[in-house]
Amino acid sequence: MPVILLGLLSCPAFAQGPGGYNPVAPGVDLAGNWGPLFHEDQHERGPGPELVNYLGIPITEGARLYGLSWDASRFTIPEHQCEVHIVGYIYRGPYNLRIWEERDPVSQKLIAIKQYIDNYQQTRTIWMDDRAHPSEAAPHTWMGFSTGKWEGNILTVYTTHMKAGWIRRNGLRHTDQATLMEHFIRHGDHLTHTSILTDPITLTEPLIKTQDLVLRLQNGQTWLYPCEPVVEIERPRGTVPHYLPGQNPFVHEFADTFKIPAEAALGGAETMYPEYQLKLKKTGAK
Amino acid sequence: MRPIQMLAWVFVLMLPAAALAQAGRGGAATPKASATIDLTGYWVSVVTEDWLYRMVTPAKGDYSSVPLNAEGRKMADAWDPAKDEAAGNQCKAYGAPALMRIPGRLHITWQDDNTLEVETDAGTQTRLLHFGATASGAGGDWQGVSAAAWEVAAGARAPIPGAGLKITTTRIKPGYLRKNGVPYSANVVLTEYWDRVNEPNGDTWLIVKTIVEDPAYLNVPFITSTHFKKQADAAGWNPTPCTAR
Amino acid sequence: MRGLAAVLILAALPAVAPGQQTSGEIQTLKVQGNVYLLTGAGGNIAVQTGEAGVLVVDTGLAPMTDKVVAAIRKLSDKPIQYVINTHVHPDHTGGNDAVRKAGLTYVGANVTGNLTDAGVGAQIYAQDNVLKRMSAPTGVQAAAPFGSWPTETYLSGRKQLFFNGEPVEIIHQPAAHTDGDSLVFFRRSDVVVTGDIFVTTSFPFIDLERGGSIQGEINALNNLLELAIPGYQDEGGTYIIPGHGRICDQPDLLEYRDMVTIIRDRIQAAIQKGMTLPQVKAAGFTKDYDGRFSAKTAAPSGPGTADNFVEAVYKSLAAKR
Repeated sequence: MPVILLGLLSCPAFAQGPGGYNPVAPGVDLAGNWGPLFHEDQHERGPGPELVNYLGIPITEGARLYGLSWDASRFTIPEHQCEVHIVGYIYRGPYNLRIWEERDPVSQKLIAIKQYIDNYQQTRTIWMDDRAHPSEAAPHTWMGFSTGKWEGNILTVYTTHMKAGWIRRNGLRHTDQATLMEHFIRHGDHLTHTSILTDPITLTEPLIKTQDLVLRLQNGQTWLYPCEPVVEIERPRGTVPHYLPGQNPFVHEFADTFKIPAEAALGGAETMYPEYQLKLKKTGAK
Repeated sequence: MRPIQMLAWVFVLMLPAAALAQAGRGGAATPKASATIDLTGYWVSVVTEDWLYRMVTPAKGDYSSVPLNAEGRKMADAWDPAKDEAAGNQCKAYGAPALMRIPGRLHITWQDDNTLEVETDAGTQTRLLHFGATASGAGGDWQGVSAAAWEVAAGARAPIPGAGLKITTTRIKPGYLRKNGVPYSANVVLTEYWDRVNEPNGDTWLIVKTIVEDPAYLNVPFITSTHFKKQADAAGWNPTPCTAR
Repeated sequence: MRGLAAVLILAALPAVAPGQQTSGEIQTLKVQGNVYLLTGAGGNIAVQTGEAGVLVVDTGLAPMTDKVVAAIRKLSDKPIQYVINTHVHPDHTGGNDAVRKAGLTYVGANVTGNLTDAGVGAQIYAQDNVLKRMSAPTGVQAAAPFGSWPTETYLSGRKQLFFNGEPVEIIHQPAAHTDGDSLVFFRRSDVVVTGDIFVTTSFPFIDLERGGSIQGEINALNNLLELAIPGYQDEGGTYIIPGHGRICDQPDLLEYRDMVTIIRDRIQAAIQKGMTLPQVKAAGFTKDYDGRFSAKTAAPSGPGTADNFVEAVYKSLAAKR
């Protein structure tokens, strides 16, 4: 026994000065440049969705009426021209996503995960320090206010205080009362972004989307997005392009082109579920 | 060094080995017992993306979003569903690389401690996900041979509970990535990551990331992610045969 | 007699507008520059602070005044010199008397000694129709107590001040929410206070009895849109304090302006087709906005509800023809 004790005592003690690591923190490292893939919904996410294509979106009657009233000419109104894609929609489009961490300079504790989305040049902060969301009276922004936590290797983010924005940029919009849950899941050089939008005013149930990204070398290059509104079409002051109820001339265009029932194109929760295929078969859609 | 000191050092050095032997005596936990997430139960597709390519059969020649090379486009343009029906190949679009994209329900159970069984009502297909160093089976059918493992997340700072499932599938019979004849070859390699997320409102989602590598027909890997919502029971379970159209 | 007078005064003033129920507590938020928002007292209250003193836009409901003054005192111990009313409604003017008394006016004169006011308190500025609607000739029961009345009014166009290092513009918006509406624009802080011309909690309440009109409301919203300039990437820049609800910027206002204009257009088209008011109400012209904007009040036709808004728009447009 004394021999063993001597053996232990002869081992050097731990270094006193610099050295040692802060405790292993949860989560994985998401830092880097990520570029989206368009192997799903390439047409909608790139060139844009067709008018009156509300397939697979669980919209309410109110949201449908809003969409059918929406005239694409509204984009020509100067105040509408520079609208930023809301946080629940921006990941659907083309962009480069740069992710990095912000840490306390002394303790190196994680304060926030930052994201720069070069489409619309948006910087997003996901607070990782358990801070509370702001008051209801606080301003809303395009990226909203986000707090995050690690659930295993999945970054789960909760966002409030978003402005009104696109569900699909053909007239389907959510209100400023919406909230967003997201999950960022990394597998090697692949990142899956899951978003779940909740807005009982415009959606009868939460809307889930998943996007895929890959790690890319960007070498500092990003897409710049300056926007300055101009008068594109002279109109009487205060004109808001829209269709009166029942007067949208494009109601059947998409459905006829793709040979699906017009009712399907008007969307709704039932269009998301497998049993809708039985309904489609009865109408002769292939 | 005196003999008693040598004996003491041998004792000290043997301590770790003794500890390992203690654990080994109980046996390593099985894949079922060491599951990091629970994938069992019934799950339903929620089709909010690629609706025109999943809920209906797209038109011949429409392979938008799929990174097909020239050979792949040539094959897709030659799609003939009548020929597939005549040859008994109605299930060509229900193979492993495409199965999870077909709207329907999944029923996932443990066939045994080392095998997850995934049944689909659409096309009445069964996939067997084998845990272990090598997956068994000859393959050559629509579902191929799948080797599964609980994932150790790349970039993780430490082994993390809650990581998902990684599946690699090979030896798959040639089939279609979409019902309108977008092809994959016998040399296709399918890599999947299955993750589970739980929402505050009680919803649970299965997120399936699918990476299809097939240089015969694809310029780059074809990557999609598909989501399923957990159901409390088998409501809506509706086994239907494969269709070629 | 005093009790009866109080009842009569309360009865003469318009009903409580939606979103003006008090939370019981005052919440203070910094907006931008020298300007703060106080919520929870009925209508929103803006407070500008600085070396020169305090300027308050609107004063909330009367029962909340003590808490309002306490909240102002937390922001600054300098004298409250100015109160500006955006319009006449009691959820914006109810605290006028008490807030005025808590302040003072510096009176200049060829005198030595104490130059503070002789019990006047702060000045209350408003558009002239606010005074007309609050006051009454001698011998007639006034709608509001004398101490609440504006001490200085302007007729049309705008009134200008310079206070705490910035120009403050009080800009009349004729026949909008009422006939006495003003926007208050803090130029250097780049904050506009709108009164109930713009709210985030309901449809607009067009107070036809007090000179409001739908066209005036839309004109006012368009004026606001031109006044507010968004910041980088269409966010922030000019901040807007609505009469009720959260701090906004130009894109938020844009959604509201679009909504009001679209509903007006629908009702106008219906009137041209000869539809009656009941028919217009049944047509559901606000269905796409009801979930977000129809006020949740006990009275189904109360101010800010879809029913109330549609009726006001219909009557306003029909009267114009």
